[in-house]
Amino acid sequence: MNINISRQSIYLLSLSVFLLVFVFVFAFSLLIPEGKEYRLQRIELKKENRELRKYQNFSDEVSQRLSDLNSDNRHIIAAFAKEFDAPRFEKLHKNYFKSLSIAKQQKLEDEDGFSIYEVNTTSRINSPKSFYNFLDAVNKTDWIISVNFPIEFKRENEMIRSSFTMKVYTISKDLNTSKKLLDL
Amino acid sequence: MKYSYIKPRKKSLFTPEMQLLSIFFGITILMLTLTYSFLLFKDYKFTQDKINIIQEREFIILEIDEMEQRIAFIQKESVLSERIFTKNTVLKDSISNMFDLVPQRITLSQAKLLENGLILYGITPNKDIYNFMLQAPLRSIFHRTYSSFYPAQNGWLRFVSTNYVDKEDPLSVDDDEEEGEDEY
Repeated sequence: MNINISRQSIYLLSLSVFLLVFVFVFAFSLLIPEGKEYRLQRIELKKENRELRKYQNFSDEVSQRLSDLNSDNRHIIAAFAKEFDAPRFEKLHKNYFKSLSIAKQQKLEDEDGFSIYEVNTTSRINSPKSFYNFLDAVNKTDWIISVNFPIEFKRENEMIRSSFTMKVYTISKDLNTSKKLLDL
Repeated sequence: MKYSYIKPRKKSLFTPEMQLLSIFFGITILMLTLTYSFLLFKDYKFTQDKINIIQEREFIILEIDEMEQRIAFIQKESVLSERIFTKNTVLKDSISNMFDLVPQRITLSQAKLLENGLILYGITPNKDIYNFMLQAPLRSIFHRTYSSFYPAQNGWLRFVSTNYVDKEDPLSVDDDEEEGEDEY
């Protein structure tokens, strides 16, 4: 039996086979692995996005908490950040005393991010009531001040001479952390 | 010399069958290449998105960390200020109680409030009034009470009352009370 195939047909068949093999090789060696990779990357990206959204939500919560705290403690934050100003303190509180003198402040120590200054104070009052009013006012003043022992009251004719020390608390300027926290 | 009466037709490699085959495989390869390019581009895009998400997440984590630090610092400020305000209020009450403790018939000339004690200087008509009206309440408050008397010019008695509160030691039973009275 003699099979008679033209040369043209052989060319056609060879080219077809070659191209078919090329398509298969291309598909199986490049396209399908890349497709799998694409699917994996897409799943992973979705996962990352979900996680990012969680972090963003948590960040929003923390930010809200910080803003609430800031607004609730505005006075305290400002008071801690403010440098003690003796003339202004005298001006603000002289109404409670007949006379009030404040010695120069001395730095005592740095404690846990705060600087503590000691101020010696001498005053003359009509009655202890004035001193009580002063102690009430100290809690609402522009600085964080603690009135400390020893406190001395001495009668001088119709007046009472009182001397006491005050501790003024401010944010420590030496610590980098405090500075950083202030900037936030 | 001619062997045929017809003119030979020009033979070409691109026969209609070959052209059809080329178009078919051309379109197939083009589609495969486009798909592959699309996948490559998407993979690159996913990788870039993932890097961006990771960077954003790290930034958010850093931001959260800073906000947490700020929150902790504000809470610390709030606690410290509360402690100071309470201390001032307690001090005011202590001074008020001290002045309320002194009866009308006894006159104070000086009072020293110490961290763990109270020293009173004053004048009393007689020792009994002092003992019943001032020393008795002082004894109930302080662990150790010392009194000194010396005569004043008008026949009354000047007194110095020194009172201390012992620091409580939780490991030992506090049953040693010292009381003394010196007369001049």
